[in-house]
Amino acid sequence: MILIIGGSYQGKTAYARENFPEYRYLNQLHLFVKKRLDEGKKPDDIMAEILEIIKEGDWAIISDEIGNGVVPLEPEDRRWREITGSILTALAKEAAEVHRVVCGIGQRIK
Amino acid sequence: MITLIYGGSSSGKSSYAEDYVCKLNFKNRYYLATMVAYDEESKERVKRHRNLRAGKDFVTLEHSVDITEAIPEILTVDSGDFSTDSSLPQEDIILLECMSNLVANEMFRDGQVFSSDYCLSKIIDDLKELHEKVSNIVIVTNNVFEDSTEYDEGTKDYLRALGKINQRISAIADEVYEVVVGIAIPVKEKGRML
Repeated sequence: MILIIGGSYQGKTAYARENFPEYRYLNQLHLFVKKRLDEGKKPDDIMAEILEIIKEGDWAIISDEIGNGVVPLEPEDRRWREITGSILTALAKEAAEVHRVVCGIGQRIK
Repeated sequence: MITLIYGGSSSGKSSYAEDYVCKLNFKNRYYLATMVAYDEESKERVKRHRNLRAGKDFVTLEHSVDITEAIPEILTVDSGDFSTDSSLPQEDIILLECMSNLVANEMFRDGQVFSSDYCLSKIIDDLKELHEKVSNIVIVTNNVFEDSTEYDEGTKDYLRALGKINQRISAIADEVYEVVVGIAIPVKEKGRML
């Protein structure tokens, strides 16, 4: 599995298409996580669901980094970004490669 | 040696910082905790961090403001240490976690709001004093700078203080890392910008 992260509108998807054209994509993972948290799912179950999806074949997971701002006022927003951060950190450990995209330019960090 | 470790919320920066300190061969590891646990959420956070560093041999010092008050405590622990194991360097290392809380606590203290300029010079002075006693300090700080909301003046002044402090520390640091999804990206190594 390849993990591609970066801020919003940095060209992550285009970078994925260019560099990993044969891969299947799980895109906008941060929104995938948010939807499930809103449905009341637990972080461990969300992680299990992600791992189940990517079980077969070559996958590139793409996600915004959402933890680089002021601490949000709403508890559910704080929870969302913390859980997204820890899921991404766990996925980065599993990933064969991790790429970070800034201004359309990807840097392989693992 | 000063090391600055920078990262966003839940980026794995604390875990990285602890591993970084534990890999170094220092006799006394001090964990200088700056967060005040004022509600359930922050108590949970303190608990999570305590679990994270359990078994890693840190002496925890808690100072939410005036970090120089840690000096007499460190001297007390050091003077009580009669170990003759000479294989370890007789030196201390402090892991300060984290600068973003310290700045908030210094800025909003005693029912008052202090300016970013005041907080900047106060915290840098305190750090220098601490550094005179303990030459090895690893500082964890927060990336809170990359969102898109226009904040009120108070929040902006806080961001200004933390941003300037991060810059001042990175200027004198030997090493600076940005931690992203648990991976440390070197920004400065051996005193040299990368």
